[in-house]
Parts: sequence; structure tokens; C-alpha cells
Amino acid sequence: MPGRPAANLKDDLMTRIANERVVVQLGLLIVALALYASTFAQSFSSSDLAQSPMFFPRIILALWIGLAVISLVQSARADDQAQPIASWLRIGVVLVATLVYVNLIGSEGFFLPSVVFALICLSAFGIRHPLFVPVFAIAVPGTLVLLFNHALGMPLPTSRFTYLF
Amino acid sequence: MLSSLPDAIAILLSFEGLVVLVLGTVLGIILGAMPGIGSTVAVAIVLPFTLTMSQAPAILLLLAVYAGSVYGGSIAAILINTPGTPQSAATCLDGYPMAQRGEAGLALGWATVASVVGGLISAVVLIFAAPQLASVALEFGPIETFALILLGMTCIVSVSTGSVVKGLLAGMIGIFLSTVGGDPILGEMRFTFGNWQLFAGFNLLAVVIGVFALSEVFMRASVHISKVSELVAFNGIVLPSRAMWRGRLRNLSKSVVIGNLIGVLPGTGAATAAFISYAEGRRSSPNRAGFGKGEPDGIVSSEAANNAVTGGALVPTMALGIPGDAITAVMLATLTLHGITPGPKLVEDNPTLIAAIFTGFFIINLLLLPLGMLLSRVAAPILRVREAFMMTAIVILCAVGIYFVRGNPFDLLVMGGAGVVGFLLRRQGVPMAPLVIGMVLGPTLELTLRQGLILTDGNFLAFFTGHPIALVLALAACVALMLPVWRALRARSTA
Repeated sequence: MPGRPAANLKDDLMTRIANERVVVQLGLLIVALALYASTFAQSFSSSDLAQSPMFFPRIILALWIGLAVISLVQSARADDQAQPIASWLRIGVVLVATLVYVNLIGSEGFFLPSVVFALICLSAFGIRHPLFVPVFAIAVPGTLVLLFNHALGMPLPTSRFTYLF
Repeated sequence: MLSSLPDAIAILLSFEGLVVLVLGTVLGIILGAMPGIGSTVAVAIVLPFTLTMSQAPAILLLLAVYAGSVYGGSIAAILINTPGTPQSAATCLDGYPMAQRGEAGLALGWATVASVVGGLISAVVLIFAAPQLASVALEFGPIETFALILLGMTCIVSVSTGSVVKGLLAGMIGIFLSTVGGDPILGEMRFTFGNWQLFAGFNLLAVVIGVFALSEVFMRASVHISKVSELVAFNGIVLPSRAMWRGRLRNLSKSVVIGNLIGVLPGTGAATAAFISYAEGRRSSPNRAGFGKGEPDGIVSSEAANNAVTGGALVPTMALGIPGDAITAVMLATLTLHGITPGPKLVEDNPTLIAAIFTGFFIINLLLLPLGMLLSRVAAPILRVREAFMMTAIVILCAVGIYFVRGNPFDLLVMGGAGVVGFLLRRQGVPMAPLVIGMVLGPTLELTLRQGLILTDGNFLAFFTGHPIALVLALAACVALMLPVWRALRARSTA
């Protein structure tokens, strides 16, 4: 494009390369390449290529790599963008809270992390009613604990403080 | 299968059987009515709870939730103009205008009757077509099964909304995930990187619930939260009288046939069936002038077709072990978790189970009428529940469900990780159904490929030269893969 200044062209190129779609698809490609490379690092008992445990995964990983390259090129060429995030704070809080929550259930039991998660999640979604939020946060996990631990006899993980929940 | 009918009926009429049929349909209708949950998430939420059940009730619960949720989607479509499930989107076109005219009860009446008729006829199609198809497939050895699975994999192309390349990519990721853990022939460990928790591979349910239910919560958290919708006036369902059906039965029959035919085709789905049927109704109905303005034929076209898909979609799933979409893939996964191998021998090896599933599916569709009438009044106020409460409850329920699968906290981490990855991929337009289909079909694909290579002394070409059925299936797979590419090229050249 002869009429466009070099700075604009550079910005345009950077936008195409550094957008979320390209970054995620580049990540997929790197993961596939790393996994493919790892198939050569292990040794197995079978010397027959077709009966090697890595025979099938290598075919699949090769196809994954090929498709990831095509998809990456398509995304970079089309300059398509992912849907904009309405609130980075909200999605960040919900993502982190969920990951911490599922991680804590094993060690801290089901009830307490669930109550804290519900409080954080509802607040992140913009629900701050002083009555509804705590009632919901206690009632939903509490009902599940009563149902599974005490009615059905299928105990959920309990906390380190009491065997009741 | 007929000889197993008395045993099957005994299962269905047992306390557990009856509870599962009624409770599953109730849950399905309520979850389907909630916008944003949809059939796949509804089935995913309920799925872990089936693990404590015996085989037949477990599958029946999922079927009841599936059929109930497809119907439940019409409640939100008609009352708040927001389809509870994608397959009810076409119902909005005439259902909501009718509700705005003050005929919400009658609109739901048309939807209920059309759904019940569509579902019942599809159950009959399932009962007769699946055993016939399965008897043909009984002759299949590993090579034919490999070609069949290959053909089944091509449905990834049709479920790939947006981009075929991204759909295939998701399919490959799914197949790869199925290879983690023990090798199916030699038992040696692959891709575990020293982590003993991965020796048994990734828990399929944790991945399914992560990529569908949890990623949906993250997707909702990333966009503007919708306000609570205004409900139109509604005082319960009003069933259309016999006189009102005059001149509409042809449209109903046509919609049921369309739904069944599209349902049998892998990967096409209920939403497509509903829109094709709606378009056909608009073209051929004597009342076509009223379409889009609250015409009952529009509701009948959409609802009869989308419910007819449910039985049709189960034909290849039960007869061949090939899932047509994410929901049927989840059902196949549930069969595996209950120690049943899906595939051509499923019908022959488990006649009582299959008879119970098919008969139960018929009963579920019968239950839609009374339960739909009863629950629409309950479901209507639920439509006003704030999305935030639903999303928070979904995460907590998913955690409970996944914990009960194996009682292993590691599965919760897998679910969380799958949720984050699913969210990131969905934001890039990568569909999740192919990933699940790949993960379900992957193990059989690998096993039959390697068994076939043993039989042919490592000669892959002999798969097709000495096995005509495998050749035909492989050619069909090539055509199914190439067809969208050819269509895209043709569209580009004409543009």
C-alpha cells in the first residue's frame, strides 16, 4: 500500500500479530510441537513401529500441528478478533475464584470453600444485596451437604474443623 | 429385543425407574427453560449423579433430561422471546408474537402437543430402525469398525460451527487427550510425565463438564450480564382443540419426518432441523401468510422437528456407537463408565438394557404432556431468576458432581483446567463438541487401527483392498470431509 505511512503499516501488522486469537493459536501450536517432541524422548518395549504406543499419538499430533498452522495463518490473515471482554475484573475474579475453589475442596472440605466462592462470585456478578447474597451462599452448599452427607450417606469432603461439614 | 421387553418393563416400573423418568423429565424441562443452560449443559450437570445408579436408570435419566430440555427451551422462547436452548430459536419467531397477543397459554399448548407428537414418533423410529442398523453392523471386524469410526469422526465437520479447520483442530485435541495414560494394547504409560494421577488418563466427565458447563459460566462472566426479562401474561397452558388442528396435520407430519431424517444424520442437530422445518412450513403451509406474526403452524414446524431429532439422533448412537453431537457423545461416555462398550454389538449384547432405554424414551415423551402442563407454571417464575445465581449454582453443582465420579480431588482440577481452556478456545471460535466427540471415539479408533494393522501385517492399504465394506465407509468419510470444502470453494467462485 504505497499511500499509507510506514508507522500505520507497522501498527496494522502488530494488531494482526498480537491479537488474542493469534496468541492462543500460537500457544496451541507450541503445545502440540512440545508434545510431538516428547514422543521421541520416551522408550518403549515394542520395536514394531505400528505397535509402538507412540504410533497413533504421533499421527494425531502431526495433524494437530498442521491444523494449528492453517488456523494460525487464517486468523493472522483475516484479522478477526475475539469478542471483547465486558469487564476484565469480573472475568478475572470469577476465573481465579473458580480455580482456587476447586483446588481447596480436597483440603478444606466442600462447605466452607463453597460459601466463600458463592460470596465472591455473586459480588463479581454485581449482586450485592445484603440479605440474598449470604442466604444464597449458605443455603445452596448447606442444602447439598445436608442432602449428600446426612440424607444420602454419600459424604462430600469435610473441613478440618468439624466432621459435620 | 422383543423377548427382553418384559424385563425392560420391570426395570421401568420399578421405584428407581419411575423416579428417574419423572425426575429427569422435570429437571430437563426446568433446566431447558433457563436461558443459557441448554441441553448439553443440562445433561452435563446431571451426568455425574448417574454414576451411583445402575445402567438403565442412568441412561434413562440422561435421556429424560435431554428430551425434557428440548421441550423446556420452548417455554423461555415463547414467554420471554429468549430461546432456552438453541433448538428453540425458531419457536421464538411465532411463539413470542402469539404470546404478546395475549395467547401465551395457547402458544405453549401448540408447542407442547407438537413436541410430544414429534418425540413419540421419533421413539417409534428409534425402536424399529436401530436394531436393523445394528444387525447390519454385526458383521464388522476391527477394520470395518475402524472405517466406521472414521466415518463417524467426519460428523466433526458438521458440528463445527464457524470454522471447519478449528472444528477439526478441536477434534484432534480431543483424540490426543484420549491417548493420555495407558496404551490400549501394551499398557505402557504415555504423556503422564511422572504424574500417577494421569495413569488412568483424563477423566472424560471432568473434561466434558469443564468445557461445556464451566466454560459457559466464564463466557457469561465475560460479556454484559443480561437484565431480567419481562414476562408476558401467562395463566397456564391451553391445549388447542381438535377443530384448531384442521388443516395443520400435514404440516405436523412433514415436520416430524424432517426432524427424524435430520436427527439420523450425524452432526446436523435439532437447531438445524427446527429451522429447515420452519422454512418448509413457511413455504408450504396454507397459513404461510401469518408466519412471523404468531402463526401456530410456525410453532408446530419448529417444535415437532426439534423434538423428533432426539430419537433420530439416538439411532446411530445406539446402533453403531457413533455420536451425532455432544449430547449423544456424553451418553456414549456414560455407557462406557457403566462398563458397556458402545458399538455395533451394543444391541446384541445388552438386549434388556436397550429395550428399557427405547421403551423408556417412549414413556419420557408421553410424560412431556402432563409434566409440561404442570411445570410451565413453575418454570415461568424461574425465568426471572438472576443469571448470577444460576451461574454460581452451576459451578457448585459441577464440583459436587465431579467429586462423586471417583472421589478424587484431582478430577476437580482437571474440570477447572478444562473450563479455562474451553473458555479460551471458545473465545477464539473453536467449537467444543468436536473435542468431546474426539475424546469419546479416540480410544476405539486407535484400538481398531492397531488391531487392523496386526491382521494385515502392517499393510494399511490392505484395509481397503480386501475389505469392501471398509472401502465404502472410507469413501463415504472422504466425501463427508470434502463436501464442505467443495461447497466453500463453489460459494467463493460464484461470489
